Amino acid sequence: MSSIIIDTSASRGVTELLRFLLESGKIDAAITMRNDPENNTYDLGLITDASNLDEAVPLIPVMTVNAGQALSSISISRKKIAVVLKPCELRAFVELVKREKGSLENLLTISYTCGGVFPLDTVITEQIEELLPKYKKIILNGEIPVNTRDTCRTCEHFIPMNADITVSVIGECKPGAGCVMYLNTEKAEDFAEDFAGERSDRKFDPSALKKTLDARLAEKEKLFASITKDGPGLDRLLDTFGKCVGCHGCSSVCPICYCLLCDFESANFDYNLPYFEEHLSRKGALRLPPDTIFFHLGRLTHMSFSCVGCGMCSDVCPVDIPVAAVFKKTGEKTAALFDYLPGRDVEESIPVMVYKEEEFPDIG
Amino acid sequence: MIPREDEPMTDAQRKGAVLPVAKDPGDAILEFLRLAVASELADAVILPMKVPSGDSYAWILMNDVSLMDDAVPIAAAMPVQGAKALRSLTRKSPGNLTVIAVMRPCEIRAAVELVKLGQVHADNLILATYDCPGAVQLQKYVDDPEGSEEHFSRMLQSGKPDNTAKPVCHYCEEFSMFDSDLHFGYLGLSEKEVLVIPGSDKGSELLAGLGLDPARDLSDWEKGIDSLKVERETARKSAFEETGEQLRGFSGMLSVFANCIGCHNCQSACPICYCRLCYFDSETAQQDPDALITAAAKRGGISLPEDRIMFHVGRMTHMSLSCVSCGQCTDACPVSIPVAGAFSYVADRTQRTFEYKAGRNDGDPLPLRQFRKSELPGIHELVKNAESEGPSHE
Amino acid sequence: MKKEFTPRITSFLCKWCSYTGADLAGTARLQYPTSIIPIQVMCSSRVDPVFLIKAFLSGSDGVLIGGCHPGDCHYETGNYHARRRFAIVMGVFDSLGLESQRLKLSWISASEGPKFARVANEYTEEIMALGENPTRKSIFL
Ligand code: SF4
Ligand code: SF4
Ligand code: SF4
Ligand code: SF4
Repeated sequence: MSSIIIDTSASRGVTELLRFLLESGKIDAAITMRNDPENNTYDLGLITDASNLDEAVPLIPVMTVNAGQALSSISISRKKIAVVLKPCELRAFVELVKREKGSLENLLTISYTCGGVFPLDTVITEQIEELLPKYKKIILNGEIPVNTRDTCRTCEHFIPMNADITVSVIGECKPGAGCVMYLNTEKAEDFAEDFAGERSDRKFDPSALKKTLDARLAEKEKLFASITKDGPGLDRLLDTFGKCVGCHGCSSVCPICYCLLCDFESANFDYNLPYFEEHLSRKGALRLPPDTIFFHLGRLTHMSFSCVGCGMCSDVCPVDIPVAAVFKKTGEKTAALFDYLPGRDVEESIPVMVYKEEEFPDIG
Repeated sequence: MIPREDEPMTDAQRKGAVLPVAKDPGDAILEFLRLAVASELADAVILPMKVPSGDSYAWILMNDVSLMDDAVPIAAAMPVQGAKALRSLTRKSPGNLTVIAVMRPCEIRAAVELVKLGQVHADNLILATYDCPGAVQLQKYVDDPEGSEEHFSRMLQSGKPDNTAKPVCHYCEEFSMFDSDLHFGYLGLSEKEVLVIPGSDKGSELLAGLGLDPARDLSDWEKGIDSLKVERETARKSAFEETGEQLRGFSGMLSVFANCIGCHNCQSACPICYCRLCYFDSETAQQDPDALITAAAKRGGISLPEDRIMFHVGRMTHMSLSCVSCGQCTDACPVSIPVAGAFSYVADRTQRTFEYKAGRNDGDPLPLRQFRKSELPGIHELVKNAESEGPSHE
Repeated sequence: MKKEFTPRITSFLCKWCSYTGADLAGTARLQYPTSIIPIQVMCSSRVDPVFLIKAFLSGSDGVLIGGCHPGDCHYETGNYHARRRFAIVMGVFDSLGLESQRLKLSWISASEGPKFARVANEYTEEIMALGENPTRKSIFL
């Protein structure tokens, strides 16, 4: 597999690739982050006309929606689509494909070594453009920008898995050194054929990212410890999730939670009066609406092993509960039970769909 | 359909009983509720209580009088719309527990709408309101609970929302007694007393059972409320003018909702949107992917997730007739869009079209549940009038 | 000092094995404690993790799943899936520091009346030592 070196910034390089693909008719649409200068907002755009690529900011450290989720229904189209997405978004999409909620067949996936994204709060209140120069400097140095999402600061999977094309943004890419795109698959070679740029047989070298990895792992340890810092258990859980207002925004923006009607919003958990009376007689009081902790524990058992730690859930929580940190930590634990890594391999079955006859000797 | 069968009281009939105040109005309300439960006139009450982490409140249904010591009837923030708490308790059936709920007027109004929509069964509920000075914005409260409490106690004294309050509170016209079974009034009165005013037979019976005689004339209290109303009305006018300006035309709508990420938090925080599966989240609303790309091609590109403006406009048509302008949608929005400002503005117009007021408990069914053969004479006329009243729409 | 109390152990027992095993224990007049509250399910794999959590949060002092031994499932593979789901719930509990000892899975065949009685007794002892589930009294759940 080869690579392409272009004498321009990574962002411009990716935009040019999309332009080439659209103009040559190799794809019908491109999906990438855009900037709307008029309203000064960012969004994920589906672009069919190359002239609209002027608005594209493919590598902007902003995630308004997990692109894996946004891709889910569109990817079933027969049209050819190139999509630029962050490593965790691609992993989320792979998880959806395993659940038959998406298809990789007509997609060309372009991902990049990711420096992490800014929380939505920062995006709407501050001029990202002004933050960018500093951000770039920090990530190129293998350090962690303090004001990015906590899940990004602690993300060890910032090198894309399974992308057709990997764009080097942090690590070996030095300012002025040009943009390197690694074509990882036959598909990528086919699509990028005739695209201008110097071909080389340079291989992606993850060792250049060791410093970033170490920094993030250290940060992760700190974050995970903070979740149970005042002791583990029920009280701690109540401290964390007690102020949850039950909006379920965390699950609606979660790329893994694909159910149209979540179990916890279904009639299964509507109660008749005797239910409330039993609680009243036992403890003299109960919270309304009920099932606050139940929702979170339930969601953890239903999907945590597939959590890609994208941080969308924390970002939309109106009461600032660190949902993603808890899900990421718990998810690592539940996935490890099965040597599973969400988004690693589309052929790898989700743990609850398969089993081994000999496993968990301690259970039973 | 609506549990109330008695004639609504006329203002002249309304009188209140005086409750002595030890510390603050909330305290007087608690004492009243303790008595009601202890004398078995109510089985339980619903009140806000601080959550364990101390930076928010939750609704608690309680029948243990000792637990009431920790309740805060007039809470500074409104994390969950009270009507949702009532819905979770009575959606399936009214049951036979007599429960007194003390909530903000907009929460009780939402509950009344939910009764009309069949989502709350109020048969055994006694719905009580109080003079509401406004509620602190949720984000502000969570960020600084102590500071917010200070702000709120000043709001309680003046009866006026300050800059930590939700924007809609500044122009809320129904911050006092509306159509509840009981109302606790204290604005404009001496600090030593709270009036408890029955608004229905249920309320009168409760007072009678407690040996409270509603003999006090309401004029002092009403004067206080009326003077506060004036300011709110002025604020309402200018807020609507401004919102109308901002929302003008499709581009206006686009710019107000420009940051929307399509999380639908606004809808799930809304007390009126009770559908388990919102139409806009359903399969029916999902576009065929090929058709979507073809549609995008006509414009050169579209934004994902698609149909975000459709969602908001659609929701306005589905529920604005019942919108009580409680502001929960804005509080829940992760990107600080003034959702409630827009919805409240639209609701004001759609409700006026039918001379309807969301939350009024006068036996009127929802406007969309009835029609008269001769109504809306010349709907075109009507639209034109509406346009000349408000900011013009090009 | 922990006060003596009668624990409640919500027990999801598969119809083909464990429930029948419990029946056998009964007909054989083997003593097992009243703390066991049996609920018959068609298969241990019918027990969604959410059932365990609901039982736990509703104040059950212990939650037990009883299923056929691996390889003996009436539906062939149901109990393998049940085991995985159980492992996930345990993982979630461990990660949050919740008392995972309050959850138990046990394989008990239709002919193992004595084993059922033994598991019931031992588990009840264990739960007695743990004391009452704090969820019984918590109002903010
Ligand atoms: S979680 Fe990792 S891959 Fe995802 S945006 Fe953050 S740093 Fe990038
Ligand atoms: S987004 Fe936050 S408040 Fe809403 S359900 Fe999730 S944790 Fe609760
Ligand atoms: S649980 Fe949160 S962090 Fe994990 S995949 Fe879902 S949205 Fe992302
Ligand atoms: S809560 Fe805000 S971001 Fe979410 S759908 Fe509503 S307006 Fe859009």
